[in-house]
Amino acid sequence: MFFKRFLCSHTAAARRRHHHGKQWSVKQVTNSNFSEALPEIKACIFNSDFVAVSLQKTGGHSATWQRILPIDTAETAYMKVKDAATRFQILQFSVCPFSVKGSKVIAHPFNFHVFPRDELKVGMPSYSFSCQSSYLTSMAREGFDFNACIYNGISYLSKAQESAAKIQTGNLSPVNGAVEPSSVYSVADTIFMERIESRVKNWIRACKDSNKTEVADALISSLRKLVAGSEVFGSRPSLTIDVCSERQVPLVIEALKEFVDVVPLHVTAKGVGVQAVRAVLTSSKEDKTLLEKEIQDTEHEQRKLVRGFREVIDLISTSQRPVVVHNSLYDLALIHSKFQAPLPSTMDEFKNSLLSLFPHTLDVNHLMKEIGPFDKMNNVQAALSYLERRFSAPIDMDISNQGKKPTYLKHEALVASTEEPENTNTHGHNVLRVCQLFVKLCSILKIPLEFPEGERITQLAPSLQRTSNTFSSKVHTADDDGVGIRSGNSEKVSTDNLVFLWGLKNRKSSRNLKNLICDSYNVLSEEFDVRMLDRTCAVVVFWNAGVLDRFLGMVEGSGGEGLRCARYNTYRRVCESGLWKADLAECFDETLDESETLSRTEAKLEESVIYWNDDEMINLDDL
Amino acid sequence: MTGVTSAPWRESFDFDRPDIQYLKIKDSAEKFAVVQFGVCPFRWDPLSHSFLAHPHNFYIFPRQEIPGDGLSNEFLCQTSSLEFLAKYQFDFNKCIYEGISYLSRSQEEEALRQLDSLYNDNSGYSSSNSRNDADAQLVRMADILFTERMKYTVSEWRAGLLHEGNTGSGFRGSLNTMNQTFQTTFFQMRPALVLNGLSSRQLRLIKLVTEKDFKDLAYVHVTGENSVAQKLIVYTDSTSDRDLLMSEVKACQKKDSLVKIKSAIGFRHVIDLLSSEKKLIVGHNCFLDLAHVYSKFFGPLPLTAEEFVSAVRKYFPNIIDTKVLINSNDELFLLMRKGSTSLSKAFGVLCPPIGPGGTSSDVAGKPRVKVEVQVDDQRFSNWNSGAKHEAGYDAFMTGSVFSQSCRNLGIDFNSVLNLPQNEKLQKYINHLYLSWNNKDIIDLKTGKILVESLGSNNNTSTKRRNPKFVFSNTVLLWGPPSKLRAKDIRDCVCKVFGVGSIVSICHLDETAAFVQFSKEELVSDFLELKDSLEREKNSPVSILHPLSKILEGGFVRAANYEMYKDICGSSLSQVLFAEQAEVVASNPKAGVVKLAVEVDSYYPNELLSDSCMK
Repeated sequence: MFFKRFLCSHTAAARRRHHHGKQWSVKQVTNSNFSEALPEIKACIFNSDFVAVSLQKTGGHSATWQRILPIDTAETAYMKVKDAATRFQILQFSVCPFSVKGSKVIAHPFNFHVFPRDELKVGMPSYSFSCQSSYLTSMAREGFDFNACIYNGISYLSKAQESAAKIQTGNLSPVNGAVEPSSVYSVADTIFMERIESRVKNWIRACKDSNKTEVADALISSLRKLVAGSEVFGSRPSLTIDVCSERQVPLVIEALKEFVDVVPLHVTAKGVGVQAVRAVLTSSKEDKTLLEKEIQDTEHEQRKLVRGFREVIDLISTSQRPVVVHNSLYDLALIHSKFQAPLPSTMDEFKNSLLSLFPHTLDVNHLMKEIGPFDKMNNVQAALSYLERRFSAPIDMDISNQGKKPTYLKHEALVASTEEPENTNTHGHNVLRVCQLFVKLCSILKIPLEFPEGERITQLAPSLQRTSNTFSSKVHTADDDGVGIRSGNSEKVSTDNLVFLWGLKNRKSSRNLKNLICDSYNVLSEEFDVRMLDRTCAVVVFWNAGVLDRFLGMVEGSGGEGLRCARYNTYRRVCESGLWKADLAECFDETLDESETLSRTEAKLEESVIYWNDDEMINLDDL
Repeated sequence: MTGVTSAPWRESFDFDRPDIQYLKIKDSAEKFAVVQFGVCPFRWDPLSHSFLAHPHNFYIFPRQEIPGDGLSNEFLCQTSSLEFLAKYQFDFNKCIYEGISYLSRSQEEEALRQLDSLYNDNSGYSSSNSRNDADAQLVRMADILFTERMKYTVSEWRAGLLHEGNTGSGFRGSLNTMNQTFQTTFFQMRPALVLNGLSSRQLRLIKLVTEKDFKDLAYVHVTGENSVAQKLIVYTDSTSDRDLLMSEVKACQKKDSLVKIKSAIGFRHVIDLLSSEKKLIVGHNCFLDLAHVYSKFFGPLPLTAEEFVSAVRKYFPNIIDTKVLINSNDELFLLMRKGSTSLSKAFGVLCPPIGPGGTSSDVAGKPRVKVEVQVDDQRFSNWNSGAKHEAGYDAFMTGSVFSQSCRNLGIDFNSVLNLPQNEKLQKYINHLYLSWNNKDIIDLKTGKILVESLGSNNNTSTKRRNPKFVFSNTVLLWGPPSKLRAKDIRDCVCKVFGVGSIVSICHLDETAAFVQFSKEELVSDFLELKDSLEREKNSPVSILHPLSKILEGGFVRAANYEMYKDICGSSLSQVLFAEQAEVVASNPKAGVVKLAVEVDSYYPNELLSDSCMK
């Protein structure tokens, strides 16, 4: 019976595998095998030339207008992404270190289940997070195991949280030897040190005495302990020396140096820095090294518990390998906010902070643009199949997991490997697609990805150098003026020429609205264009600033119909205000009301340029 | 539910006024999702003198079944709540993969209205659409070529149809060469061409060609029996026939979407049943549960507790809370031996043979109520699903506790026909704890808060630990955590306003604190003084003033108690109170107005234990 069932499920699994066509085996990592996987991935990262990264998150954008739209400048796009990255959560983090040899890609995919469990009971890493049911259902469609994630996902703390946690949870940390012995001691200091010395001396004598005179009464020995203030650290006696200020700490350490057998430890308490120094008495030199090792081990253990998954991020960061991402701005913002620190308030600060984390980031989406205008190719799969049809760039994916026989698979006709049935599920395949897409693109663009043996990347190929670190999805950021107006229908439009329009009585299509504007405001249809941003608000672009001023005057003059309009700086304020309402119109209303009360401080309009692209019709049906 | 509080300061505190308690509950019900819903109807069987319970446990999930307005279903998860669920082996996969979807009444109305407007002005819409498509540019060479080829193919097909009698299957041959892209079929008794495997752009071009060049062909897009979208070119005899066909298709599409909306109602059918049957609903400490039910299945929560209560009364006229019952009835309360009145505890005490441990068949000298359980045609007299904190089991426990409590109150189920009207229950019915922490009871009939607890003797338990909090005497301070030590505040304020000026200082979280003054005037005095000190920041008076020590040059902000209400009413939820307060304070309107509009943000919950009683 059992056997039969086993067979059944096996064939079902096989069918599913068949259904998915290609089958790559990705190493699945959860809390239970994380510590084994860590050294593996470390070796893989350091042996590879690139690291591809792909995230599975709980949501993207809450409302239509909160997506990154073609009208967004780098700054407003960052604001939107910042909001999303703080609210949503990463549930799955796939990492794939890979190298390219000829037409062969050697990839080592890992898939980590991540969950912000509060391991240390300090309310971190995250109190709560948002989920979008559409994201969860599409994850379910791909067979995502939510139980595995929540029960057994790897927790983490960001760098900023780690330092906060250190202060919060009082613990012991060894004193690193490089305490500068300050040469100038005041009289008070010397007296303090002498007092400490004599106290420690007494304590050591007492300890050794009690060892010798075993006949001592239990009561007497405990009384003696009380008097001497000695405690026990593990099996060794210890003494806690309270300090009144941070300044006294090095003094105590200095005083303790006299005693060879004593190991000083910092006692840090909640909220404040070092509160006391604990001296632990060891019986011999060997015992001392043993103790030091013990302390180091527990600290290491503690650190692992604290950092959790962030170890992987730190590995990627220290390896300095270029990071390949798809949809970079959002993913990198997520990584930054979950594993580094809360997102800074401006795009520039974010860029700087990210550069210190990952020196090179390569956006596949951006590379796609080098080939042609595929602004809609947001989906990795779609982009892949597009390339497949248009270009011939055969690439072999060689996927190897450590500890298993490398399965050499040609990606056109991948054969499902029959062993390890529970391991060959579909999680984390996106990262392989990202790296496949990247290599394909580079081979089409004739960008060399191979590095001579033994030589590590210090310099990226010039063409890659240009695209590296430009986080853009649709936005052409400021440092990216290399790509100009390529396709005929993309024009530069100054943000000065945009007007936001809302307060329409009922829903309209952009076409209807355009007709309405033509009719009631006497503007020629050639002079402007309209796009709906969401159901309540539209953006109007005027090719001519004069017409725009006339239009603004007319709308403000008419007033009665409830139609309202605002210029781009108001939109910028909406994005900065942190009021992410579902309807853009509402945000505009509130922002305008507020600015009226705030005595109209006119924000300086800097000259920023966005690209108005006719292909990017905002299609409400798509949303 | 996926969580209870969206931020630490949104937890319930002693110094929350009832309206603020409601705002906090409202926030919770709006933000979080319900993932499991337990319903356990109880029926009195006069023959066997026992209750028959039918526990049900529903997994629900706010899946987006019908295309929304670009608004997404979004809900918050509190990490600790998910861990709690995981501890009790909650099956998240089951919930997300197979959980029942639902649609609230207001969502359904909204969807139907949209459907109507879509199909009513469709006539004008489609014509203007075709005009627009006509000026859509055929810029790309590939597009033009494709259009021409399609024109040829379609006209060939049409010619083939017209001459079918004579030429037989002459066309079929050429069709096959088009590698299965086009297949001839019949649609509504008319010959049609099925278009397969074309990109959306190609389909758009085909549509354009069909509408422009062939008067008797119609391009339609239907959903087949197995719900696969199909694009067809249909041959019609005349233009009137074509219009007829188009309207048929439209009607069909409308019906389809109507069916879709109806089926998306899903789990709400259960709630509708509960509501329409007007049975007595029993819950345990169920105000939050009720708020969840309202926001998920009826509509957005009203802004005040009074409005909410009157809206609830329409749907559920009779609600009884076993927690209120146990705490306010002297006899039952004594029975609990002043222990905790949590559901499992009460169940253990009141229904020992059913609950774990106990053996006695009498509860405090009163005969025990027998409860039989029926699950899937199987009867158990001693049912224990074992799943602690499973909603269905919680509902069963609530019902059992209630039935035993009734027996202890001396209600005879054989003679009682209408339980809600029973006079012995009148003291308790429709009385709910607004929040357990404050023991404020709200009367669902009137919307009034009953300050004095119902029972007379158990004042020992309801007596507040703190002296009564006077809201109007209170100032709210927020700022960087290091500046808000209670001792510092007390010292500084006492230096300025005198030793007896401060009654108490309570911390909301590390970034905010309430300072309660002894007199109401002191509040405005304090705020005025603070303002004036900040205005003249650098004058020697303000530097040396004792208050400057805590105000720290404007980094610490202050406001009266009403501000707290505004801050709680905001739909935002920052983790730290100070951050939240900054956002709300800088957008004065954001806190007060708002909320009624978006129907999209339903966030649901979990352990709803409702029991329907006969």
